[in-house]
Amino acid sequence: MLHCANTSGNLAGDMTVWERQRARMKWQEEQGYFSAFDALFSSSSSSSLHLQDSFLHPSDSGCALGEVVAQAQAQPRSMNKPSVHGFDASSSILRTFSCPPALVEPEPEPEPRPTGSSIGKESSKKRKPEKLHNAKFVTENDMKDKRIKVGADDEQSKITGSPKSHSNKRETCADTSNSKQNSKASEVQNQKPDYIHVRARRGQATDSHSLAERVRREKISERMKYLQDLVPGCNKITGKAGMLDEIINYVQSLQRQVEFLSMKLAAVNPRLDLSIDDLFEKEVFPCAANFPNIGMSSDLTNSGYVQFNSPQQMVSYGGLDTVINPPYMGLKRNVSVPETYLHSSSFTQLLPSSTWEGDFQNLCNLDFDQVRATSFPSHLSSGLVEAGNHLKMEM
Amino acid sequence: MIRNPTTASTERSRDAKRRKKKKTQEREDEKQPKWKSQAQQQIYSSKLRQALARVNNLGSASPKGKAVRQAADRVLAATAKGRTRWSRAILTNRLKLKFTKHKRQRVAATLPSRSKRARVSVHRLKGKGGAGVQRKVRFLGRLVPGCRKEPLPVVLEEAIDYIPALEMQVRAMNALFNLLSAASSSSSSS
Repeated sequence: MLHCANTSGNLAGDMTVWERQRARMKWQEEQGYFSAFDALFSSSSSSSLHLQDSFLHPSDSGCALGEVVAQAQAQPRSMNKPSVHGFDASSSILRTFSCPPALVEPEPEPEPRPTGSSIGKESSKKRKPEKLHNAKFVTENDMKDKRIKVGADDEQSKITGSPKSHSNKRETCADTSNSKQNSKASEVQNQKPDYIHVRARRGQATDSHSLAERVRREKISERMKYLQDLVPGCNKITGKAGMLDEIINYVQSLQRQVEFLSMKLAAVNPRLDLSIDDLFEKEVFPCAANFPNIGMSSDLTNSGYVQFNSPQQMVSYGGLDTVINPPYMGLKRNVSVPETYLHSSSFTQLLPSSTWEGDFQNLCNLDFDQVRATSFPSHLSSGLVEAGNHLKMEM
Repeated sequence: MIRNPTTASTERSRDAKRRKKKKTQEREDEKQPKWKSQAQQQIYSSKLRQALARVNNLGSASPKGKAVRQAADRVLAATAKGRTRWSRAILTNRLKLKFTKHKRQRVAATLPSRSKRARVSVHRLKGKGGAGVQRKVRFLGRLVPGCRKEPLPVVLEEAIDYIPALEMQVRAMNALFNLLSAASSSSSSS
């Protein structure tokens, strides 16, 4: 165990014992069980020797206790209880150590002694999760560390459950360092996998409530920052209220736009059926011709328009025209290729520009005739596919 | 290019001639759909087109505008694959609507356009800035479908996904509108 490196502790520290116990248990899982204990045991100081002897009695766990004792000595901890309590706690630790289910049992015993109870809880807590950072807390005497086990499965950690349960047991000890030991027996109950371990930073309150609150606040602020990037014009706004206002305005404006567009689409739709049939028959879809050409960003207007004007392009994409016709029919047509063109990148470039539409119509009319002249046979679908493929390549 | 996979997906979707809840596009993200991607917009556009055609075929049950808007929202929610609360709420609203008749229809018709209602009601109240963040949170929860009573972190998370989806919807509908209007105008003129 790492904390055994610490020196000059007094055995009386229940917390150290428990901490070491916890760390030890963790350590055990990963490494050899007894080797370290032996090492620790040997390193124990003289004052704790008698304690160690007493702890040696129990079988294997005795070694563990010895280690715990040694560690307790090694680490200076502000312990409320004299060494005697430490022994008791150690004994309870011993018991708990040997069999995890027994962890729950020792808890009632140390109940009268807050530290003992905390120790029992600590050990029980330690037993379960693998994520606990045992080594850390042992070394950090001054650090006010607190562990909240929260599930880490999904982004939303369910912190509320565990902190509350923690807080229930926690009142006994005074804040700071003791709070760590006020780990709860609830830990034992918190078998759920969805627990995130939270660590209080230095100088921060380790109260379970405040910790949970801090986590919640951090979540919210993280999401607010993300939203700041999403919503335009929020860079200068700080504070939740202002940001919320901006977000609300933005969402409302977007929804209004959608409504407006749906109205427009509804107006266009009646013509959709007719136009679809007509266009399909004539195998002409002039506007589609521009798609490949319009390699512009969403702010296309004039540039695409210019490209639009060239009738040659229309002719060259005559094949495409027919291809593009069927797409917006939404009917059962063999020609699936056309749809692809509609979905082409240029699709997004067809941003609304009323002027564009007007001129477009003129152009379309012109080109329409041209394309008509070169109307393709009905079995064009295959040919269209080819043309489409060609276009795709070009794109 | 994007077209090839899109072709396949659109082919299948068109052949089926019904609302596809599943995406056949391999390009799609397994996680939350990226609303900014072209592929997403294309998928959405194709589905929207089908839905619009269906709306046309059905005739105008309600004023066409609302039907179109509901169809657009539905398609958007379907494109979201139901991973978010708002998408699931939209889809379940539609389901409820189908099972009930006119009375419910009228109510449900307004649900997708909850924002309208919310806006009105908010103005009747003290406005969103009336008092505290909580009021704004509730208001935003009303705006985002399915988040009415959710706490702030949930609402924020839903908004994080909902806003790009709305933006994509606006882009797609714009493009579709231009496409259709141009096509229809040319056809009508010809």
